[in-house]
Amino acid sequence: MFTGLMRTMILYILIIAGVRLMGKRQVGELEPSELVLSLIIADLASVPMQDYGIPLLTGIVPILTLMSLTMILSVLTMKSVRFRAVLCGRPSIIVQNGTLDQKEMAKTRLTLDELLEELRCKGYTDLSQIKYAILETNGQLSVLPFANQKPPTARDLKVSVEEGGLPRVVVSDGRLLEGNLKLLGHDRPWLDRQLTQRGCRDVSQVFLLLVDETDAVYFAKKES
Amino acid sequence: MSCVKRLYIAAGLLVLLLAVSLTNAWYAQSITGDMREQLRQAQELAEREDWSRAEALTRQVYEDWQGHHFYFHTLMRHSDTDQVLRAFRQVLEYLQLQEPDQYNAANADLMAQLELLAEMEQATVVNVL
Repeated sequence: MFTGLMRTMILYILIIAGVRLMGKRQVGELEPSELVLSLIIADLASVPMQDYGIPLLTGIVPILTLMSLTMILSVLTMKSVRFRAVLCGRPSIIVQNGTLDQKEMAKTRLTLDELLEELRCKGYTDLSQIKYAILETNGQLSVLPFANQKPPTARDLKVSVEEGGLPRVVVSDGRLLEGNLKLLGHDRPWLDRQLTQRGCRDVSQVFLLLVDETDAVYFAKKES
Repeated sequence: MSCVKRLYIAAGLLVLLLAVSLTNAWYAQSITGDMREQLRQAQELAEREDWSRAEALTRQVYEDWQGHHFYFHTLMRHSDTDQVLRAFRQVLEYLQLQEPDQYNAANADLMAQLELLAEMEQATVVNVL
């Protein structure tokens, strides 16, 4: 029992560290090599966790090997376009100027139902609205509508809008984040004034206080 | 962390793993080779009816095996190491009973198990395939 507990902890920490080292992309968007890695690692880790007759190292060594190989492959894919194309494939244009490319669909083994479902998920029900639909190497479908189907932007409408800036959390659940307050160029008296204006005496009464670069404040009082 | 640094770390780790696995192969071969040689000498002593020296030598090999318990237990399959342990006990029993036929068979089996244990760790194409 103790062996199982310790092995699970070691393998779990090892995998978390590995995934963290591989970067954020690993978690959200899996390339083929990364998907394979995730599947194999899960299996490799579970075997020595359950079978105490196998040394822990027989699980750790393949995991470390896989992580090293993945790291090498990810650096090589960054450095070489050709290598990236071989390992990850190339994006496929499925819809061009509102017309389906049936050969490309067959090549990528994308069924009509799957394509229409993806398009509906992205808010498109009419293929004639779509200039390009591209199946990316991570399996996601990117949809680019015709220019006349895109919602107008402020620039298109020739409207002047103010930049809001990045809001930073200054008070979170009654705790003051002094680092963020300093980054915004404010001090404690400024914060106290803001709190007084909103009927609070102390940060402990504040649930959330956000301040952006233009000094716009979002305030939420803590419910008693 | 820069790309090149990641590449060096990963390549370094792979090289380290390779070096450790090759060292392990050499070490396993070296330990079990010595043990097999001593067991062979013990068998020669037993054939000359020198049972007490044969037993002392086998016991010494057994203690040597026990001395490497951590190494074997952390790197080899436990079922294989347990089998070797059982074979040692069997050989020692036959030595005490001074049963030449049974002892020879059990000792040959023990030596073969030790050989296979090391062979499993060797960097050979056969093992990889």
